[in-house]
Amino acid sequence: MISKLLENITLKNSRLSTKLIVTYILLTVIPMGLLGMLAYYEYTKSMEEKVGEYIPKLLKQANSNIENNLSELEKLPDSIYGSSDVMSILRDSSLKTQSQSYQEQFVVESFLTNMYLDNSSEILGAFLVTEDRAFISTRIPYEGFKPENWLLPPSEKPAPGEKVEFMFPGQTGLEFEGGPPYLLLKKQVTDVDNRKTLGTIFLAVNLAFIEEVLYDVEENENAAMWVMDKGGQVIFHTDAGEIGTLSSEIREYPLLNGSFQAREDGGRTLISVNQSARHNWILVHRIPLKDLTVGTDVVRNATIFTFLTLVAITTLISVFLAWSVTKPIKRLGRAMQEVEEGNWNVSIPIQAQDEVGALAQSFDSMLAEIRELIEKNYTTELRQKNAELYALQSQINPHFMYNTLQTINMAVEDGESDTVIEMVTLLGRMLRYSLSNKDRLVPISQETAHIEDYLKIQKYRFEERLTYLVQTEADADVYAVPKFILQPIVENSIKYGLEKRKGLHIEIWVEEMLNARGEKDIVFTIRDNGPGIEEETLEELKAKLQSDPMGKRDSGFGILNVHARVMLMFGSRYELQVESFAEKGTEITIQIPAISKNEAAGYSDTQEDGEGK
Amino acid sequence: MIYNGEQTKKQESGQISGEMYTIAVIPKVEGISYFEAAEEGAREAGEDLNVNVLFEGPPAADWKQQSTIIESFIQKEVDLIAVSANDPEKLGPVLQKAEEKGIKVMTWDSDTNAGYRELFINMVDPENLGRHVMDNLASEMGEEGEYAIMTGSHEAANVSEWMDYIVKQQKKAYPGMKLVEAVETEDNPQKSYLAAKKLLRDHPRLKGILGSSSVGPPAAVEAARDAGKAGAVAVTGLSTPNLMREYIKEGSARVVTLWSPKKLGYLTVSLAEQLLDGSTLKDGQHVGKVGNIKVKGDTVIMGLPIDFTRENINQYDF
Repeated sequence: MISKLLENITLKNSRLSTKLIVTYILLTVIPMGLLGMLAYYEYTKSMEEKVGEYIPKLLKQANSNIENNLSELEKLPDSIYGSSDVMSILRDSSLKTQSQSYQEQFVVESFLTNMYLDNSSEILGAFLVTEDRAFISTRIPYEGFKPENWLLPPSEKPAPGEKVEFMFPGQTGLEFEGGPPYLLLKKQVTDVDNRKTLGTIFLAVNLAFIEEVLYDVEENENAAMWVMDKGGQVIFHTDAGEIGTLSSEIREYPLLNGSFQAREDGGRTLISVNQSARHNWILVHRIPLKDLTVGTDVVRNATIFTFLTLVAITTLISVFLAWSVTKPIKRLGRAMQEVEEGNWNVSIPIQAQDEVGALAQSFDSMLAEIRELIEKNYTTELRQKNAELYALQSQINPHFMYNTLQTINMAVEDGESDTVIEMVTLLGRMLRYSLSNKDRLVPISQETAHIEDYLKIQKYRFEERLTYLVQTEADADVYAVPKFILQPIVENSIKYGLEKRKGLHIEIWVEEMLNARGEKDIVFTIRDNGPGIEEETLEELKAKLQSDPMGKRDSGFGILNVHARVMLMFGSRYELQVESFAEKGTEITIQIPAISKNEAAGYSDTQEDGEGK
Repeated sequence: MIYNGEQTKKQESGQISGEMYTIAVIPKVEGISYFEAAEEGAREAGEDLNVNVLFEGPPAADWKQQSTIIESFIQKEVDLIAVSANDPEKLGPVLQKAEEKGIKVMTWDSDTNAGYRELFINMVDPENLGRHVMDNLASEMGEEGEYAIMTGSHEAANVSEWMDYIVKQQKKAYPGMKLVEAVETEDNPQKSYLAAKKLLRDHPRLKGILGSSSVGPPAAVEAARDAGKAGAVAVTGLSTPNLMREYIKEGSARVVTLWSPKKLGYLTVSLAEQLLDGSTLKDGQHVGKVGNIKVKGDTVIMGLPIDFTRENINQYDF
């Protein structure tokens, strides 16, 4: 839980590419690993099941073979009843002479040899023990023959005697030369006619026959097989050293017919057991699982190899995928960082059509937009300043000042003091208007008053050559207008008009009108009857107004300056228009929105804010 | 666990625990060594097999007394009655009555009609025995001359069957021999002695006596000796070694034939127990402490007859 949480946290904080790689790998490695493990596990299991089912069947067969052999052997002791010679010797308990006794010994031992040793190679020795005698015939030398121990097993009562009992080397102490594994068959010899016990016959049976049977079952040398009785006494074991020991495992066996897995020192083993029906002998087969699953190891190795290869491939793919996803993002990020550092002219090198590409394109176009806006604001501001600077300059135009002062001078010389006073007053008012440059927008009445002052001064200079009319039909005190939009035009008109003509009439109309969108506009019309503008020049001028309102400071700069200021201030819908016919005059109209004084203040402020930036 | 090859649990077999079986064994007659030996064997088996054995017979070989004894066993609700019948037919009703009460019925030594019992335990093959005993007699008599037979009772099935084969064998193989008389002795030593005496008196040219009841041959030897004809009259037949030992050793008789009645008693109780357990018998089956038995339908044959002679008679103690 905690580790998962930790993993979450670390993943959350790690880079996107790491996350992607981890996710991809987890998505591929975990299912593949699980699938592989499951497949291998199932395969091994089915293998084990098959073997686990197959071996008990073999064991059953082997065990029944052993049991059949054993049943045959069990019949052997009974053949003693067939010999009346032997039976009569056994029945006769009377005292005998030494020679009689030896004769009887000879008869019985000959019988044992003929009957058992000569007939069956499995019999190592036959021992017939009566109360006072022992008849013995063996194939190979032996030692440790102590029948008194055999007759009375310490713990048990003497058995009824009819059944063949089995005794193990450990119980008897009897040992044959060469130490062959053997089993002692013990059977009581009963005189069925007289109902008496005559003695006990012991047959030592070589267990090699079990080995042969077991050998047929299993050839794997790591497999162990053994036969034990139900008490765990090992009767025969493929490992000769185990014969005669007591196996305690048997108590832990969950069943006695079938197979199961057990964990032992050397790892897991498959144990198969079968219990014979009559003797309850248990045949056990034990094999380490790893020997059983030798075949599956190839499968496992192939699975692991495939798994690793696939993991490597998927890791490569995931790294590549993560890289291809994150690389454009990183590049975009770097571009953004550059922008942040002030480089607006970043090129974004992403051509992809995917989401990242779209993002890059959006960013690119946003950047372009921003660039444009910066450009626009920046230049607008700059040009406005230029325009205003020019307008300011034009107020203190040295020519105008010189000419005005010349006129005043002449009036002083003529002693026309009223005129002088008037002119000085006018000039003073003009200068103050110019100086009161704080507000960009002023009421129309101020602007018209100013232009009238200007025209009056010019009138003093040119006398009858200049006539003018200023007609205001709009509410001049309510609406505002940019400063100095009339003077440059009038100056221009006077300059060109009086250059070539004797007289010039200038009319200035201020009117309200509704524009196409139903809003109120103010239209200034400055009309003169001057020489007009030649067609070529007019076209040139119009073109300049259209394309480059911020042209150079040459002739006609005044008009362009006004046009630029109007456009910059109110947008391109508002403009200055020129109509002119050669020799007939020129008409210039300036259209601006009707801005009340209150609005004008806000307008100015906004502009101030813009400046501040 | 990978593979379970265990068979479905074996049915716990019958009523081993709880009560012991009670088996009633009824001989033809009490007080003769043959049946005493049989009783010994029966009781030995009772101990070995852990069953309760009741052994009771009539004082004389008489079916009526047997019937009374069977009645009393029915009253005692024994599990099985094994009877050595003195009459094959007349014991039928009482045996049927026992069967109706859920008591199993078998016969041993001497059979009843097959309908009255489930199993008959015969000691030997009657034909084999009959012919063999005749051969022994013929050999003693030099295969010619007069001879007489002393049987137990003509009613007893086994005895009459043996006699059939004895006579058949004589007629077939020994035409020089002649059966002069067959007398009943009711398995009674006293009666046998008297009968033998009478035979010797009635048939002065008698060369051989065949006793088919165990008390017959010793009585015949005694009678011949008393009549001064010891050795002149050949005596053979069926008898126990204990009864005949003295005579055979001294040469009054050369051979008698029998089987081990102890073994028969033991086998009777062993098979009675198997019958109660519901197990079926197979031909050649091994019976503990007895050996292999022959089974033909509902009849069991214990084994072969034994000839007791001077050489081997000391080996037998019944």
